[in-house]
Amino acid sequence: MPSRRQFLRSGWKLGGTLLAAAAGWTAYESLRPLASGASGATVNLGTPSSYSPESATYISDGRLFVAHTGTHIYALSQKCPHLGCRVPFCDSSGRFECPCHGSKYDLGGEWIEGPAPRGMDRFLVTLDQASGTLVADTSKVITGPSRGSNRFLKPAKGPSCVPKG
Amino acid sequence: MTDIQTPPTRDDGAAGGPPVRDALEPKMAYDPGAGLAGRVRRSSAWRSVFRHPSLDTPRGRALQSFSNFFLHLYPVKIPARVLRLRYSFRLGFIVTVLFAILVLTGVYLMFFYTPAVGSAYGDMQHLRTGVGFGQLVRNVHRWSAHLMVLAVFLHLVRTFFAGAYKKPREFNWVIGVVLLLLTLGLSFTGYLLPWDQLSYWAVTVGTNLMQYVPFLGHSLQNLLIGGDQIGQPTLLRFYALHVAVLPIAVVLTVCIHIWRVRKDGFAVERSPVGGAGHGSAAGTFEEEATAAPAPSVPATAPAHLYGGRTRVLGVVDRQSVTAEERPVDDTVFTWPHLLVRHVVVALGVAATVLALGVAFAAPLRGLANPNLTPEPAKAPWYFAGLQELLSHFDPLVAGILIPGGAVLALILLPYIDRNPSTVARRRKVAIVIFSGLLVAAVVLTVIGTFFRGPGWRFVAPWTHWYVEF
Repeated sequence: MPSRRQFLRSGWKLGGTLLAAAAGWTAYESLRPLASGASGATVNLGTPSSYSPESATYISDGRLFVAHTGTHIYALSQKCPHLGCRVPFCDSSGRFECPCHGSKYDLGGEWIEGPAPRGMDRFLVTLDQASGTLVADTSKVITGPSRGSNRFLKPAKGPSCVPKG
Repeated sequence: MTDIQTPPTRDDGAAGGPPVRDALEPKMAYDPGAGLAGRVRRSSAWRSVFRHPSLDTPRGRALQSFSNFFLHLYPVKIPARVLRLRYSFRLGFIVTVLFAILVLTGVYLMFFYTPAVGSAYGDMQHLRTGVGFGQLVRNVHRWSAHLMVLAVFLHLVRTFFAGAYKKPREFNWVIGVVLLLLTLGLSFTGYLLPWDQLSYWAVTVGTNLMQYVPFLGHSLQNLLIGGDQIGQPTLLRFYALHVAVLPIAVVLTVCIHIWRVRKDGFAVERSPVGGAGHGSAAGTFEEEATAAPAPSVPATAPAHLYGGRTRVLGVVDRQSVTAEERPVDDTVFTWPHLLVRHVVVALGVAATVLALGVAFAAPLRGLANPNLTPEPAKAPWYFAGLQELLSHFDPLVAGILIPGGAVLALILLPYIDRNPSTVARRRKVAIVIFSGLLVAAVVLTVIGTFFRGPGWRFVAPWTHWYVEF
């Protein structure tokens, strides 16, 4: 049976801890960003036929690339999964090549080489049946495929834009 | 309070009655004079603010420290060896001076800056062209920030090699490591504020390092930048952290750090008994820090006592006589000895950052453009080693395990290294390990900062310069 002094001391400690936890959680909830995607907006990508096979088209509204591999169409985030640099598409090699640390990805955004831990992230793309257009939801980020997927890997078309270090 | 105009002298105290404290001091040199200034200094209003005059006596110097808020941060007396440059290189004080310069220049800059994506870059341009000394103040602010990171790092290195983290200073070492992290945070959060290409992409790379923290990475990153990518919430958060949260945290932590320095004692060897070895190099404080004079025993009684006769009171075996070593007063007054040195160092630091600010302008690239990554995109120089590491190893290893392990090892160092010796030849293992890691960190930072170009290719800095500070 604790003494009154012990009971009060424990009570103060418990109350203080709860107060600190409540303050911390409230601060976290206030500062936590609500949207989890790039911009949280949906972007109309147009009809599938407007993208030619084996091409990558930049859509500035969504800060994404629409990549047509021949069999698949992906909305790829422009952000390198390594350290967040923008990954441009290199026309000469036909690959995505990060200028920061030299990570390279194939047309489907799958990792080929470099320090990136995985392939490029993708946004959820749906086909609007009524209008026949593709819609990318930038709030729905699909983590890029892990290394070694290589479903769309082909030899480089030409010289790389980011030579090896 | 004793009347300051007619202080009792040594003679007064010895003349009659119980000796008062002031009687132990030499005659005071304080004379406010007869003019207007002297009358002001004698007035009760003046003395209500300045409670003690500047007396050039031991007690006067002590009162000087006791009665002054700022001087009270210092101890009244310090070991004489603290004054020697090579013990601390004044690095802790240099950091404090740099922080003070950063606060002063930072407050000035705050009057001309709005943390909004639409106006931040324009404010920086306006600072260059439309604000008096705006560019110079910004340059000084930037160079002070770089030098503060460097000085804190060197302070940590110096403390290690001096063995000053050992008992009883273990916790103060931990506080020092926390201060290093806070300094990096201060510098990093300030990096984004110009909202140019350099700052945008440096912070993008820097904050993306956080995503590799297991389980919490993305949440932490999103919490810090206020979303999925750098934007208005990021700028506002970094601004609040930079001008309020982190400076307050630094001030509080520095207060504890300095307080602990005093409470734990200065980490310098006390002079050996007899004071040998410290006086010759000490210079001006030699006259204060001297050994207590050995009692002189006259061979015979003075002629005016006992009629000049000597009386033998007893015979003692010589072997049984042990000389009692008298403690050495190897301390000197902080004011003026340390204070004068600090003023010189502060002026030197101010002159250095001013010269750097005049010679090298803080960079301002084009407006931040999320759709155009510059080549190369580098993190700030103090994270360039980490970025270099990331180009060689798995992100989990290079981004989390190695830096996290390094910080943890630094924090735990005084609790792991239980060797009480501070002498280098008795700490070979610790020094070799620390030196190896230090060299590795410096080499990685130098390579990442100076030897990397577009695509993180190896570029010799003498062929093309890809560095901006």
